[in-house]
Amino acid sequence: MLVYFVIVPIIVGLILYLLYKSTLVRIFAVIAQLGLVIASVYMFIQARAFTVYEGAIKGGFLGESGIIERIGGYESVMGITLMADTLSAVFIMLTAFFFLIGVIYSFNEQKKPLFWMLMFIWQGALMGIFLTSDFFNIFVLMEVATLIVTVLILFERAKRSMYDGLIYFMANVVIMQFYLLGAGYLYRYTGTLSLYIANEQLKFIEREYIILPYVLIMTFIVLKSALVPMFSWLPKAHGTPGAPSSVSAILSGLHIKSAVYLFLRFQYTFEVVAVPEFFLAIGIITAIVGFIMALAQSDAKLVLAYHTISQIGLIFTGFNIGGPYSYIGSLYHMVNHAIFKSTLFLATGIISYAYGTRTIYDIKGVFKSMPLVGTATLLAIFGITGTPIFNGSISKYFIMSGQQGIMQYILIFMSLGTIISFVKFSTMLWGKPNINIETKKVDIAQQIPILLLGSLCFLGGVFGQQFILFMFNTELSVNPAGYLEKIIIFFISLVVGILIYKYYIKKSKLLKRVKQIDLGFRGICIAMGIFFGIMLIYVGFLQ
Amino acid sequence: MTIGFGIVELVSIIMFFFSYYAIIVSRNMIKSIIFMSIMEVSVVMFWLSIGFNGNIVPPILQSMEGHSIENIGDPLTQGLMITAIVIGLSVTAVNTIMFLTLYRKYKTTDWDIVKKRQMAG
Repeated sequence: MLVYFVIVPIIVGLILYLLYKSTLVRIFAVIAQLGLVIASVYMFIQARAFTVYEGAIKGGFLGESGIIERIGGYESVMGITLMADTLSAVFIMLTAFFFLIGVIYSFNEQKKPLFWMLMFIWQGALMGIFLTSDFFNIFVLMEVATLIVTVLILFERAKRSMYDGLIYFMANVVIMQFYLLGAGYLYRYTGTLSLYIANEQLKFIEREYIILPYVLIMTFIVLKSALVPMFSWLPKAHGTPGAPSSVSAILSGLHIKSAVYLFLRFQYTFEVVAVPEFFLAIGIITAIVGFIMALAQSDAKLVLAYHTISQIGLIFTGFNIGGPYSYIGSLYHMVNHAIFKSTLFLATGIISYAYGTRTIYDIKGVFKSMPLVGTATLLAIFGITGTPIFNGSISKYFIMSGQQGIMQYILIFMSLGTIISFVKFSTMLWGKPNINIETKKVDIAQQIPILLLGSLCFLGGVFGQQFILFMFNTELSVNPAGYLEKIIIFFISLVVGILIYKYYIKKSKLLKRVKQIDLGFRGICIAMGIFFGIMLIYVGFLQ
Repeated sequence: MTIGFGIVELVSIIMFFFSYYAIIVSRNMIKSIIFMSIMEVSVVMFWLSIGFNGNIVPPILQSMEGHSIENIGDPLTQGLMITAIVIGLSVTAVNTIMFLTLYRKYKTTDWDIVKKRQMAG
């Protein structure tokens, strides 16, 4: 059953390409995608029932926990194994859902058959990454996904984005070689490519031999999830003017999460040498650098792209911080980030199309010119800043659980940064519109998905605990007194954020200099080497 | 499982880090693409060297006869590396096409000049 989640999207994509004639085929695409959503929910419920191992949510696996499928009927030592436990099934569900949003959004916008084929094949590759438990499959599927994303981000205005596409592609290919070398070492020492058998074998091998493959593979993860110091490719890929909005939304909402998901799996596989405190430090630095870079931008799409870096940093912080609920909070934040960031990307697509510009300072009065789009954007901003009763507040509350002293202040500082960058972003919404309202009509097929996502930001906050119980099979409860404290902190930081924005950010010369920081291809490659060296020294000598 | 280094592995590791160094220092885009291919080849060589010693035979029925199991090459790595080579080929093709488009726009092969012109708009 699991293998169909990879094959069906690819076949649908090919059918769309070959038989592409009219609207009818696009309706078929939407129906096929709806079918995939239903199948994925059914599969999720099955996988949740079969997952008996309680560490499954932490990226762990144990023999027969979850749905296991051996392709070709070989034993798991020899053949390729697909596995769906609670963790991977959640991501399958998210993939199917966000591609449904993307397909509906692009319904009237994209008319080229190539776009539809690539979207569906991309979905197949992503589903494969979430399902597979084989080192080499991950390599192949990641390469496929990288190739498709490169073509998609160059899709419109290809020449202007060619540099961005080239940097994205080449950086990702070079890091793939690091990964393949690491997997080679692992195969050499353990004689297997399967994640769980490797996990068991590694316990019997001396620690010094595992260090090199671990560091090589983690360098790959750090580039793919755009942590410091290798984030420079992400704004190019996610914020390039050539990419259709639906592609940017899925890239930022979902594609980047595939690397975070692999991080959880690999941390478990290499549990003998894992260094969570190292990734905690990297996560904190990334979160802070990300929002400072976001504040320096004036292009709406680039603000969102840099802000994605900051949020990935927060997610990594949550995974490695070690609080009682922070792990689950971080997982929930991944889902929430996918929801509000794709809302914002899609809304920015509509807004920049209507206003003919992407510069934040040139856009005014979205609320009056496009009330529905404005509402959805505002809901998403509430979600991302962690406004009380919206989804971001619930996940941030759980991430912060049990933190005291300096760590608590760092987390508050991060969320203050988010607030300031979205105070800046929300200046688009207010004021008098500077375009003619009558002439701009927004496509209904584009309004439905963003309104749906916007309302999910609200529902995810109100029913946060129920969502967590459903998705991650973990019962958590919000302590009213603690939550009240967070509400007070939020409003204080909102006031502080608005003041900082008004009296500092607008006039700052330092930020203009920050805006100039941009690594080229060689810079990214040097960063890879530096990171590899630092991590090798840390894991090898300082542990 | 024997853990130790043979000469083939050593050469492939040296090649890997050499090509990485070359990618860092070369300002020429064509050279970057070439050294990326060399990097891929070195990784393929590393995989093929797994379990390699001087008197190994290919995993084909006719040549396997009369040899003990230790002296037969690992078919899995060879199968996987065929895939990796094919991927490497298509990656190089895409890279070259993108480079050509960029070259037609900016008339230069230098990374730094392209970056400067891109920033200028």
